[in-house]
Amino acid sequence: MKILLALIKKEIKQILRDPSSIVIAFILPLISFLIYMYGVNLDSVKVTIGIKNDDNSPEVATLVKSFGHSKYVNSINFDNMEDIKTAIVRSKIKGAVVIPNDFSTKLSRGQKADLLIITDGSEVNTANYVQSYANMIANQWLLTSKYKGKMQRPLINAEIRTWYNPDLNSHYFIVPGSIAITMTLIGILLTSLVIAREWERGTMEALLSTKVRAIHIVIGKYIPYFILGMVSMAFNVFLCVCIFQIPFKGSYLMLFLVSALFLFTSLGIGLLISTVLKNQFMASMVAMSMGFMPALMLSGLMFPINSMPVFFQYLTAIIPPRYYIAFIESEFMAGGVPEIRLANAFYLTVLGLILFVAVYKKTQMRLSND
Amino acid sequence: MYTVTIKNLTKNFGSSVAPVIAINNLSLNIEKGKITGLIGADGAGKTTLLRTIIGLLLPNEGEINVLGFNPVAQKDELNLHIGYMPQKFGLYEDLTVIENLRLYADLKGVTHDFDKMLEFTTLAPFQDRLAGALSGGMKQKLGLACTLLGNPEFLLLDEPSVGVDPISRRDLMKMVREMITPETTVLWSTAYLDEAHNFDTAVVLDKGKVIYEGKPHDLAPTPQEFENKVIDLMGGYNKEESRIAQNYDYHAPDVELTVEADNLEKRYGPTNKPFYAVKNNTFKIKKGEIFGLLGPNGAGKSTSFKMMCGLARPTSGTARIMGIDIKKNPERARANLGYMAQKFSLYGSLTVKENLDFFALAYGISILKKDKKVNEVIEVFGLKEYENTKAEELPLGLKQRLSMAAALIHNPPVLFLDEPTSGVDVLTRRDFWNHITSLAKKGVTIMVTTHFMDEAEYCDRISLFYKGETIAVGTPAELKQIAKLISQSENVTLNSFQGLTQEERNQMLKQVQHDNMTMEETFITLIKESEK
Repeated sequence: MKILLALIKKEIKQILRDPSSIVIAFILPLISFLIYMYGVNLDSVKVTIGIKNDDNSPEVATLVKSFGHSKYVNSINFDNMEDIKTAIVRSKIKGAVVIPNDFSTKLSRGQKADLLIITDGSEVNTANYVQSYANMIANQWLLTSKYKGKMQRPLINAEIRTWYNPDLNSHYFIVPGSIAITMTLIGILLTSLVIAREWERGTMEALLSTKVRAIHIVIGKYIPYFILGMVSMAFNVFLCVCIFQIPFKGSYLMLFLVSALFLFTSLGIGLLISTVLKNQFMASMVAMSMGFMPALMLSGLMFPINSMPVFFQYLTAIIPPRYYIAFIESEFMAGGVPEIRLANAFYLTVLGLILFVAVYKKTQMRLSND
Repeated sequence: MYTVTIKNLTKNFGSSVAPVIAINNLSLNIEKGKITGLIGADGAGKTTLLRTIIGLLLPNEGEINVLGFNPVAQKDELNLHIGYMPQKFGLYEDLTVIENLRLYADLKGVTHDFDKMLEFTTLAPFQDRLAGALSGGMKQKLGLACTLLGNPEFLLLDEPSVGVDPISRRDLMKMVREMITPETTVLWSTAYLDEAHNFDTAVVLDKGKVIYEGKPHDLAPTPQEFENKVIDLMGGYNKEESRIAQNYDYHAPDVELTVEADNLEKRYGPTNKPFYAVKNNTFKIKKGEIFGLLGPNGAGKSTSFKMMCGLARPTSGTARIMGIDIKKNPERARANLGYMAQKFSLYGSLTVKENLDFFALAYGISILKKDKKVNEVIEVFGLKEYENTKAEELPLGLKQRLSMAAALIHNPPVLFLDEPTSGVDVLTRRDFWNHITSLAKKGVTIMVTTHFMDEAEYCDRISLFYKGETIAVGTPAELKQIAKLISQSENVTLNSFQGLTQEERNQMLKQVQHDNMTMEETFITLIKESEK
């Protein structure tokens, strides 16, 4: 016990004196929150489109105006197609609407009138916005115009209610999700270095000729980084809820409990990498590619898991952040859902225990034969 | 009574198909209560033997008994009785001196009573300093202190004195001798044969076998003869004409003073409280001279070196290589220079040939001539066998040879060698100095640092460096005379002697006999004197 305590004390001092661990635990989350809050935006944005109106009836002029007044769109008027083309190439506009000269004539006859919407397919997301905004504005204009009577009444009125995130604000799930990224970084990247460092600097050889046993070494690494991770977690939640005002509907107790389990599994991955490789450079490379990248790409944070190819869907089963992100998103947005809590906590516990045993088994108390 | 008995020990590395034999059917007994020195060339199996004795490595064959334990099965029990200091000693550089001591005390289950230890190691004033910020000698002392905690019955030290200056080396030896009980057994591996000559027993290893075991004094009465005898045991050193020097393409420069340091100074810290790593350093080296820079760890030798070859910018003063100012024309000055750094600074993952290819091009040898040059160098330096071996896999002695080959590939008229023989065995060192002296005869100017005092004898002139300042310059004989003079007569101090005119000094030294003065005593006397 005394040995364990000595090792933990040593490790904590090393953490406190190593600026990189402080940067990863506290500065990095702050930066990533700022980026996710103000940099990344998966929601609608105001786009600029060009309008070429070939129909000079006064009624159509109000359509052009309503493009100008929309809260989603800025519009610029053009006279010829060449200019529109140049503007799109220069990215001055993201798309264009062309109103043909028989537009109002056709409408007043009750015929289908054509409206040309040009979008820039090189930016798919934006192209979708342009398309739907233009559609929406044109339809709304139709409802208020004098051609209203000529329109057939739709038989179905779809009422839309968005549950859990009525504003469809993507920050509400991305920002909590980024907690998972920070926790992965602490759990995997930081710890992947620590056992390898002892081998590289020769301190391990000295430890091995003292009373230290394998279990001391393993627990002596788990505990200090667990503490660091949980402190960083608390800091993250504070930033999330108090500073960035992300609504939190779940229970803090459950949040910290499941986060602790997640941290436990992440530490397992990091320490396993470190124990097996014994080389800091290799370990950090492997940690990046096996820990951090999957956490970002395959966890369901950025890309929904059920839209992945089948193979990758199965692959995500062994990626701890997948469970954690599922949990943390539901905890923040939906409040406590017992099934989600239980299932994810269960998977994380099993993974964490398997990893712990693996780390313990792989911790050698002798030098290897090469 | 034996602390260790080893019977028919064999230890192989690598695959079972093509094993590398590190320990070959070795039998050895180590007497209780004695200090046993373990000597051998690089790759002779010293470290492997130590590690196998304490169970860090498992033997392939044979039996080992240490203090009644079998290290294969009872490593944990054995650990309670031993103190082991690995070669790359595991201090936590980001912990302070006292924190390292506390940690190792806890890990060994002993109390935090370090007063005696701190006083003894003279580390007391530095106890709150980070271990990483200590000088090389101090680090080794701290490492030894951590190893000595808990008064282990059996102490195993793996080359604790590598890269350590003579004064710190004496301190390490004194620490061990005074901190142990008469019952303590010590197994001390070393590359310093004068050190081993002092021990109770010497064990000489060669290719994983014991080739001598017995009292050092039985082999030879003096350290110098002991060294020769050990070299004979290892197969002897045949001094041959240096092929490196023969093949050296040397063009005599038109300047006589090839290296000059002119008030060189390196200052750190704020101007009101400056710290001088190097202060007021002035010297001139003639063409073909071997100029030695000697001094304790942390005296500023490496800093001087780095400033001289333009790797660090002097705070004031300058240096000239072949008359070219290193501050104004660093590239042009450096082109005349071959530099061998203290740490192995080649590419570990590249092969011997690839490293040399790279340095040939980096030093501006044309692509057309490169292959011929590289092949010639590989041939001359005896690296043909290892041509396609990765540099990191070479034994230390060969690594040094490769570093030297890389530094010499463009045949520069001036060579800077920073502790080129640190950690290298005695045979390799002899060979190395054979090349150095032959190169100097050809006209190459050489500036070198070393902690081996016997090597200092090869120098034409020596500058003794302490706390960033030159405290004495002269031939080895002159320095010995000065040291003798100071230790003999009470009214002469180093300061008062330096204050005299050249003529007066010569007059005084004329009468001094220095025959029985060793370079090490000279070093220690002069450093201690300037400390007063």
